[in-house]
Order: sequence, then structure tokens, then C-alpha cells
Amino acid sequence: MSAPHGPGDTTERDRTDPLPPGSRVGNWEVTRLIGSGGWSTVYAARPARGHPGRPDVALKVMPTAGLAPRQARRIVESARREVELGRRAGHPRLISLLESFVLAEPGHPALRGAIVLVMERAAGSLRELIDAGLPETDRGRLIAGICEGLAHLHRSGWVHADLKPENVLLGADGTVRLSDFGLATELTGTHGYAPPLGTLDYFPPERWRAPLGELGVRVRPTADIWALGVVIHEVFTSGCSPFPGATPMARGAAVQEYGAGRAPLRMDHAVPPFWRELAADCLAPTHEARAPHTAESLLARITAHRRGPGAGTGRPGGRARAAVLATALCGIAGAALYADVPAPPGRAGPAPDTVRVYNAERACREDGGRDPGCSLGLAVDPALPYTADNVVVTRVWHGDLLTADCRTPDGQPVVDEEDRRSTHWFRVRLPPGSRPSTAWLPAVRTRDRPTLPECP
Amino acid sequence: MSGVVIHVPRGSGGAGGAGPHGDPVTLRLGPGESARFGRGSARSPVELRLDDPAVSRLAGEIRVTDDHWQLTNHSTTHSYLVENPEGAGEYLRVPPRRAGAPIPFEFSRVVLPTRGDATVSFQVFAPDHVYLDPEAMGVPWGNATVTAYSLNETATYFLVLVALCEPRLRDQSRVAVPTTPQIVDRLGGHPACAGLTARAVSSHIDYLADEKLRLGAPDSHEPGRADRRNGKREEIVGLALRFGLVREEHLALLPPQTQAGGRERQAAR
Repeated sequence: MSAPHGPGDTTERDRTDPLPPGSRVGNWEVTRLIGSGGWSTVYAARPARGHPGRPDVALKVMPTAGLAPRQARRIVESARREVELGRRAGHPRLISLLESFVLAEPGHPALRGAIVLVMERAAGSLRELIDAGLPETDRGRLIAGICEGLAHLHRSGWVHADLKPENVLLGADGTVRLSDFGLATELTGTHGYAPPLGTLDYFPPERWRAPLGELGVRVRPTADIWALGVVIHEVFTSGCSPFPGATPMARGAAVQEYGAGRAPLRMDHAVPPFWRELAADCLAPTHEARAPHTAESLLARITAHRRGPGAGTGRPGGRARAAVLATALCGIAGAALYADVPAPPGRAGPAPDTVRVYNAERACREDGGRDPGCSLGLAVDPALPYTADNVVVTRVWHGDLLTADCRTPDGQPVVDEEDRRSTHWFRVRLPPGSRPSTAWLPAVRTRDRPTLPECP
Repeated sequence: MSGVVIHVPRGSGGAGGAGPHGDPVTLRLGPGESARFGRGSARSPVELRLDDPAVSRLAGEIRVTDDHWQLTNHSTTHSYLVENPEGAGEYLRVPPRRAGAPIPFEFSRVVLPTRGDATVSFQVFAPDHVYLDPEAMGVPWGNATVTAYSLNETATYFLVLVALCEPRLRDQSRVAVPTTPQIVDRLGGHPACAGLTARAVSSHIDYLADEKLRLGAPDSHEPGRADRRNGKREEIVGLALRFGLVREEHLALLPPQTQAGGRERQAAR
């Protein structure tokens, strides 16, 4: 930006120069730099001499010196959101705000007027943990922790609006502390308004087209749920987004293609089935489809899963069983659906997998309800013509998750409304008590391509 | 980010045009979508019809990818030019049979050769280019929290936006937003704005409102919202200032105020 007589480049540089260790900020003494973002710098600090008996803290310093009034206002606004949320919605899963103050007479002139938030000191962030390699046993527990934090925020009427692994901190005891509420927004009715800021990789599809209004961008709790889906995927894939692309813009384009129904959701097979299903619900393409999956309901599913029989994560016994199962099943894992896609090593291929029903009719995808006209049938026998007496009573709708246990590559060819043609069919389980107990879904009716054995 | 907008002006293809009667056509493509252009026929249908005998039935294809678009030249003999109308003569030549040439311009005019002097052309806007936040320079940006509505501060639309915001930024007035003729006048001394017409200023304002800021759609059940379009420039100014898209430092982009336009306005106060 060329601003020859603007606020001045030197102030700009001073503003971002980190404070050296030993600097005094209020009643605190900086010990080291933790990190710096656009408008703030976070330091580790301890109580200054003369103020003993307090724990070590993190200081979030937001300088305002040298800024034009309107820029400073943006920072004040962000600090206000954090303070407000900290005051009204404290919770063990949220980083706690101990105090906040404005530096009137700092030792460092560039910090005059800086806003300082004194926060509970975290041991690290989920991003650091993902980068370093997240132990398998911790994954479910951490996701549950994020869900607890979100459930509390949403229950209290707030939307985080910038959930990402960088903002998921870990306390000294290893438990989750959500942080950075600079964009957090209090809901008025069903939605709130956030400033037009965010992190591209965590924007839900609707956000890319969201209009900017007087109050900012409309955000709803489902935006946090979408971000949670991305985070869950990252936790199991060493930080990979579920959307392909080398840059945040490319992945953003992929998100929009998926949101518009032009591309399927292709999650990494490293994500275990339970978590894949959960993440897929978080990543439902529209606000309406995501709305039923509240943080509360996701948390209930996670809790049930972690308590349930054979739950692998976090329980040594369960893990051992899973390992035995994987070894036992390795022999029959050979017949992958697409022979040219090698299966990741060590994956238990033939375990049942889920497929999400895809309706090629756009109106039916957007409908969200269970309009009979949008229902899709399942065949009794994929080798016979797909006629009225070859269809089971159970109907399925776009977005339904079915459990598939095997597949056949040479059933009757089916062509969908988008002219996609396939002779592949998946055998899916019907609800308990159904007769027959399984039926067949044409592969064109889902965008998922699970690795399943060929049916006997 | 929402893809690209293609605009085929009235009668662009010689006598005919893209529409049934040579009417202008606007087509919006989302990421991953594509559109073919050419003279078209029953066997090679095209989304954008360019009715000139020198243009092939299937002349080329536009595909939206990431935050930009790609041009495929289906001609075996002709190169196409992609001009950046704001780039002071900046252009790209896409040779025959080139597949998927990435186009880096936010504004492009695709020019196809014809047998006569007149060329066939159409415009492609790619409003989704992302710019890094000035505050976040030097910080790894991949996972950074950024402004989701980014503006090219060297584009003419940004000058128009700064000119719209100027009175409020200078605290001359809490309400007055300059009119289109005032903006033409104010930017007249800027080297990039020589020949800027009132019509062009209006187009830039529409582009800001519809593609860059995406002003909220009128809310039918809110009384008094029907005349929202009248307040479009006020709304643009309000948002740009409120969310820091235009700041005091940007005033330096405008020509010095001592020029005729500025004096007149000050005299009028």
C-alpha cells in the first residue's frame, strides 16, 4: 500500500516488533513470544515482582498506537467480543480470560493505548499437536472436548466463527480450551453477525457467497459445525483438509463445487468409519442439512461411541481387538472397487462402510425434507431389471447414510439424471426387522466410493 | 468467492450477438463450471454464441478453477487475445489448440479475430481474487484469519470507492456521498482515469455492490427496503468504512485535492 503521508511505515514496524523477554506489561513480565497474528501478539508471562502468588499467563497484546481511528476501532471491537464472552460464558472448555486492561504508561512507546487481555496459559495448540503427530488414543477425546466447548458456546447463544486447530488450545492437563473469540458473535434469534473476517479453509459453502450487510456477515452455529467437520478430518489425517487443492483458494473452490452438488465429498480413508460419518454430517452441504447436527447431538454420539463396545480410541483393550480384526480381515481386502487406487496400508478394507445417498435432482438435494417425489428406491436383486417388483419397501432420500457391506461390479446398468452410468451396486443394510434385511443401492446414487469386498 | 461473470455485449458477434436478437448476455459460472463459446450449431452447441462467420462453431471454452479461469482455444489456426482493460495494454496471447491457459486478470476482454476490421470480443470478470490483509503481511497466511472481501487497491473500482468515501473520511460530511459526475470530476486528474465516463463509474459501483461486497439482497418483509437500490452508494460507503476496507491512508491514492474538482466542492460548502 502506498501511503506516503499515512500513519507511517516506522510506526508500523514498531507495532509489530515483539517485546523482548523481561518487558513489563501491567503487573506482568513477558517471558517469551508465543505467536503473532494480524492485529495481536501473544506472549507468555509471569507475575512481575511485587505481584506474586498468581499463575503464569498468556498476554494477548493488541497495539492501537499509530493506527487510524477506524483501524483501532476494529481492534477494540475484537477485544470487546473476547471480554464480553469471557465474562458471560465461561466454561472449562473455553480459555478463561483473567483480566483486561489498556496500557496507559507502557515502557515501550509503541504500546501506548494497547489493549491487553490476560488469559489462562495453555500448554499448546491442536495445530502443534497435529503437526507433531497426534497419538491415536487422544484423537477422540480431543474432538469430544471441542464439541463440549462448542455445545456450551452455542447453548449460551454464541457462535465462535473462527474455529480451527490454531484456536483449539490444550490446558496443562491436556484438555481442550477453545480460544480466540475475536470474531465470536452473540446470536440474536437464529443468527448473529460477525465482521467480514475468517479463515478460508474453514468457511462453509454458503459463506463464500454470503452478502455483507450493515452489521457484517450473517453467521449461524452451523458455521462452527462445518469448521468442526474440517477439524475432525485434520485430526485423523495429519492436518489434511477434506477438500482437495494446494492453496486455500483452490480448497475454497472445491468447497463451493461440493456445496453446489457438482462434486462429492471425498474424505480420506484414514478417517475411521465412525468419525467419517460424524465429519460427513458436520460437512453437510447446506445450513439446513447441517442444522440437525448440533454440537450437543454430535457430542452425544461421540460419548456413546466412546462408551460403546469395541470403541477403539482411548481404550487399550478395544485397540487390541481392532488390531486383531484388521489382521484377520487383511486377506480378503484385495478386491478394491477401483483397482488402480491402492488401498492405504493397514486399512481393514472389508469392514462395513457408510455410503451417503446422492440425488442427482438438484431440487431434491435442496429440499431437505422427505418429499415422496424425492425418494429413491433400492433393488432386491441388482442383476434383474430395476422394475417395480424388484424394489424393496424401504425408500431412501438424499443425504441418508446407509451401511454398505459389499458391492457388485456387474449389476444392471443404471443411468442417473446427470447421465452418469454405472453397473456397480452396493449392498446396504435395511433397518432392523426389514425383509429382506439387505437391498441394493445403484452406485450412481451415491458419490462415495468406499472400498468394499465383492459380494459372494 | 463465487466464480466468474461473463458478459457478451450487445451485437458483439458482428451483426448478431449472443442473445436471440443480438442482446447482451451475462453468464455466471461457479468453480468447476465451464462454458463453451463459438458460432455454435446443432452438433456443437455453445453456451455463448458469437455470430460471426470467421468464428469457429466451437471456438473455445472457459473453465472456472480456484479463484481464476482457464481458456481453451479450440481453433487450429487463430490465436486469441486476452486483454486486461485496466492493465495499460497488458495482454496474453493464447495460441491455437492451447488447453486450459490460466488467466490471471480480474478483468479480461477476450478478443477473437475476424475477417474484417471489427473484432469479436466479450468480457470475463473474476471477482474472487484474494488479497492478503495489510496487517497480516509477513505472517504465514495459509491459516491466517483474513478479510473475506478483498479489494485490489490498484484497480479503478477501488479509486471509485475511495472517492465515494472521501468526504466521510475527511469528516467533511456525515451524510453526503458524492454523485457520479462528482466522482468523474474528482478522479479526472488521475492518470489511470483519463477518459473515465459517468457510465463507467456507475458500472464500477455496481461491480462493487454486486460482486465485491455482495450487498445484502433486499429483504422483502422489511418495510422500506424496496428503495434500497437508491441508497446503494451510501450503503457501499457505510460498509467500506465500517469494516476498514477503505482507510485514511487510501486518500493518498486520489489526485491532489487542489485540482478544480476539489476546489469547487470546497467552495460550495
